[in-house]
Amino acid sequence: MSIFLSRSKIPGAASRLESYPHQFSGGMAQRVMIAIAIACNPKLLIADEPTTALDVTIQAQIMGLLVQLQKTHNMSLILITHDLAVVAEVAQRVAVMYAGQVVEQGDVSRMFSAPTHPYTRALLQSVPEHSRGASRLHTLPGIVPGQHDRPGGCLLSPRCPKVQDRCSNERPGLYAQDGVQTRCFFPMSAQEVL
Amino acid sequence: MSKPVMQAESLTRHYHVSQGVLKPAVTVKALADVSFRLEQGRTLAVVGESGCGKSTLARQLTLIEVPTEGRLQIGSEWVQPGDKAQYKRLRSQVQMVFQNPYASLNPRQKIGDQIGEPLLLNTTLSASERMIKVMESLERVGLRPEHHNRYAHMFSGGQRQRIAIARAMALQPKILVADEPTSALDVSIQAQVLNLFMDLQEQLKTAYVFVSHNLAVVEHIANDVMVMYLGRVVESGPKATIFANALHPYTQALLSATPSIDPAHRQKKIKIQGELPSPLDPPSGCAFHKRCPLADARCESELPVLRELQGRQVACHHTG
Repeated sequence: MSIFLSRSKIPGAASRLESYPHQFSGGMAQRVMIAIAIACNPKLLIADEPTTALDVTIQAQIMGLLVQLQKTHNMSLILITHDLAVVAEVAQRVAVMYAGQVVEQGDVSRMFSAPTHPYTRALLQSVPEHSRGASRLHTLPGIVPGQHDRPGGCLLSPRCPKVQDRCSNERPGLYAQDGVQTRCFFPMSAQEVL
Repeated sequence: MSKPVMQAESLTRHYHVSQGVLKPAVTVKALADVSFRLEQGRTLAVVGESGCGKSTLARQLTLIEVPTEGRLQIGSEWVQPGDKAQYKRLRSQVQMVFQNPYASLNPRQKIGDQIGEPLLLNTTLSASERMIKVMESLERVGLRPEHHNRYAHMFSGGQRQRIAIARAMALQPKILVADEPTSALDVSIQAQVLNLFMDLQEQLKTAYVFVSHNLAVVEHIANDVMVMYLGRVVESGPKATIFANALHPYTQALLSATPSIDPAHRQKKIKIQGELPSPLDPPSGCAFHKRCPLADARCESELPVLRELQGRQVACHHTG
């Protein structure tokens, strides 16, 4: 049993088998969860906000552990998160979701340098790091619609800075172009600077 | 230098923790020797991992608890421990916004009544005058005044945090203490709430003590930064100085552990091992020595004191 805990780099793994969850710190408890999840050598690990509750130093340790386990176990990872910086550092592909739909999907480095969907762009701009030196952060006005008040047409249309008539009447599909999928009638071109 | 609206001198807070019937109680030094000054319209960010004493500090500053040692100045008055009339007067000048707006608002009270409650308790305004103030507060934080008779569950997380901010600002305090006010929010909503904080500060000249572990947020909102580790200040100074060239190994580790969206900004990670030690059993000497890449024998035995170095204060044997 302790071999599973030591895979997650829990110090003194053998002596911790008799411990209860409340005797672990947040970071250590997350390591136990990871040990449970990889015990059967899965091909795919789904991690839902694995570091959101953790401090930044512990987050770095846990993400390092996940990436290392991914390599040694030759495992795929679906990382669910709202932390774009973690995505930028860990993932190869990214799918951005809005109100229940994927709005943009593609290669990570491409998406961070040249987002095609207005929502992706707004998300990237609202990261404080993006507005370094500016007095205010970029924001996307409004909030994500609830499940009973979805707008007609494109779901982002009431909040979109680039909205046009067609967007309010017709719901866009997921269009593929140059290896990028985007759910927008008027995707941004690479020339539009972030 | 202009006059501070808040000043702390060697604030220290100990807790006595019982470990069971037969064991003696232990003293936890949650906060040790914290000093700072804060001027009108400025923001002091308090940074550190969970358990470093950030929230304990917030509780001393808001007069929720009495510090074990040290003194605190609010406005132009030094706090006199036990002076209840003074406490009541000063509390209206220091207000607080909490981390989780789902928990800090009362689910059974209309939000207009919650925002009006500080006015009811601390002013002699009539009900109709209070209502006018409540409407103004709602408008100021970007909510519709006619929503004053709704309940908290009818609002989203970001809107609830706006309500909590409106409540804290209702008395127009000199100082606002915000304890991780955006860590429960999504990144796009976080941006809206941070902008609101900055707009309000510009309009009302409120001084902020902003407790956070998110250095990207701190870099955006703060004027001064104070980094804490296990109850003590390890580095403190102007934001630009610290972000440009952190001197304490813990500050450096925190900065390098912060993930970045920009590959050019991504630094080589300084790995720090392990976790914050238990305050029940703090290490000898420098509290950081067990995780520090620079630690030597001196760090194990001797507690480093804060000293002035390159425009900031730092507590480390190995810098400079």
